Amino acid sequence: MIRGLWTPDTVGWLLVAAGAPVAVAMILDQGPDGLIRLALGLAVVAAWQSLFRFNMGVMPAPASAITALAVAVMAPHEVPLWQIGFAVSFGAVVGELIFGGWGRNFLNASAVALSFLSLSVPNADFVAGDAGLALAVVPGAIMLALTGILPISILAAFATALWVAAMALGLTPQILAAPGTLVFAVVFLVADPVASAATPLGRWVQGALAGAFTAFLMTGTSVPQAVVFAALLAGLFAPLVDQGIIALHLRWRRVRHARP
Amino acid sequence: MTHRFRRGLDIAMDGTPEQVLARGNAVETVAVFGGDYPRMRTEVLVAPGDDVARGDPLIRDRKHPEIMITAPASGRIATVEIGPRRHLSMLSINCSGNSARSFSRPQAPTRDSVASLCQACGLWSGFVERPFGRIPAPDAAPDAIFVTAMESAPLSADAAVVIRFRRKLFHAGLRAVRYLTDGKVFVCQGPVADLVEAGTPVRVERFAGAHPVGLPGTHIDRLYPVERGGTVWQIHYQDVIALGSVMSEGVLPETRVVALAGPGVQRPRLIEAPEGAALDDLLRGELLGGQMRVVSGSPLSGSEASHLRRGDHQISVLRRARPRKPARRRWPGHATEPRPAPVVPTLALGRSLGPDLPVVPLIRALSAGDVETADRLGCRALLEEDLALATYAAGGAQDFGMLLRRALDMLEQQP
Repeated sequence: MIRGLWTPDTVGWLLVAAGAPVAVAMILDQGPDGLIRLALGLAVVAAWQSLFRFNMGVMPAPASAITALAVAVMAPHEVPLWQIGFAVSFGAVVGELIFGGWGRNFLNASAVALSFLSLSVPNADFVAGDAGLALAVVPGAIMLALTGILPISILAAFATALWVAAMALGLTPQILAAPGTLVFAVVFLVADPVASAATPLGRWVQGALAGAFTAFLMTGTSVPQAVVFAALLAGLFAPLVDQGIIALHLRWRRVRHARP
Repeated sequence: MTHRFRRGLDIAMDGTPEQVLARGNAVETVAVFGGDYPRMRTEVLVAPGDDVARGDPLIRDRKHPEIMITAPASGRIATVEIGPRRHLSMLSINCSGNSARSFSRPQAPTRDSVASLCQACGLWSGFVERPFGRIPAPDAAPDAIFVTAMESAPLSADAAVVIRFRRKLFHAGLRAVRYLTDGKVFVCQGPVADLVEAGTPVRVERFAGAHPVGLPGTHIDRLYPVERGGTVWQIHYQDVIALGSVMSEGVLPETRVVALAGPGVQRPRLIEAPEGAALDDLLRGELLGGQMRVVSGSPLSGSEASHLRRGDHQISVLRRARPRKPARRRWPGHATEPRPAPVVPTLALGRSLGPDLPVVPLIRALSAGDVETADRLGCRALLEEDLALATYAAGGAQDFGMLLRRALDMLEQQP
């Protein structure tokens, strides 16, 4: 009879609100170029969403704007606009819309778009992002955590695993070299409320996997690229992790409630 | 022992009832709805114009003619509406007088004599069998019976207050319930002093925490889960009190205790009202001004109704929100129906289920119509009421209780 506030649309708009300060910081940092890239990304997302709305009945979701934001924030400066549009298209369509839109996707669309971009321009480095960008992420992240949208377990597991693995590999200084995109990617790509693992324990495992993958990938590539691929890989493992944890949980229940 | 329930949500609402018992308004009509007995093939035994006493049979089940639904108050039958497939839709009684049918109490109670008494006096329908949530077959014997002696839904009555008020009848009812199973009888109460006197042959379990800690689904999951076999029955403490009244006095009680609460009520409190009472009668002079919705049941799992429905012990008067714009507007020039909204896992959704099951995978399976997976994840442990909080936490975009019922119906029909 009464309904809570957390409809999919509310959650989507809160994600957008959390992204807004990041967009401002990015535009202040990159100038009109940043604004153009963001506007182009948003236009592309909107175009695909209306196409899928008309033909497949997939409702447009505000949260998809994060894909455009992520590409605008992290894409290398030298990448031409048409490639930005292409990457956003790939993320929006293959990452989200073909599965039935945001909320039914099993991978983070931003991670899909950025991995695609990274593979198509292998020689260019993603924007590292300064501490200002990291600070712009924080208020949104706190708001999302307080509203129960951002899984804190993923953040905690990611930070711990990254720190431990980087210590083991002797890579700690490199982590601090790109604080902006690292924080941005953890909040908006790794700790995705929809596409990450669905069981509480699975979220810890997935966060730890993403952190460890980031450290290992850092040995071969820059930190932003490492964290993007780590988010994608950990997302691919999430359903497997969930299956394992559900199987364990059901077995544990069976043992606990065994009756003669 | 006390079970701490660590999940759940506290839903703050205006108009929580003061836990004092008052006599409610006089009720002019009461009604019985066939929709409250969805699996029963109803055979109506009365016609408009007949005079009935409280406890007189009104309906029986064609498949099990010993199971009766009886009149909640004495008076004259006003209407009998039959709906699709000859199923009773609604039967209403204009109340008058206070005559009651007296039931002969078994001298030496046995399982069979207590069961036939329950079936004759209409209280058999107070038992709900899990899994699947049906009225039990007349000859069924459960592995355990759960007496729910607590409430946790927003705006509900404090069960301890009601039970202390009718302590003797409650105990008489418990002793009768004891005959219906060879297994345990659990009395699940809140974290308060014992509601059951020492020496009563039942097991008392205490539960503490936030809603849905008071739902029988939560208790059953902790103490005797049934999704992998076995059956248990659950019964509400007010049905036990009614059974106690039949056992010790031979008549059904005149009234139940109902929490009349919500932001639209002048004096939220507990009132006495017969089962099936017309809400218009009960609410006369009780409401604040403004547009209200009158809900029979809790604000989470109840439904807008004209009369108090079977099994509901609260009336929630909620403010009627401004009519929402259709959330999923049609886009011009195109006919493709929008898909149902997705399930977005939030902290609130993860905490919303009483039984310890993987919430989000289970709800996603139900929402996708994947009955097999839902069964593997343990949906047999649930009934509609257990998912009401999840529906709330997900913003009401989909009614998970309805999806669960669809899945349970399919599972029940499988060999």
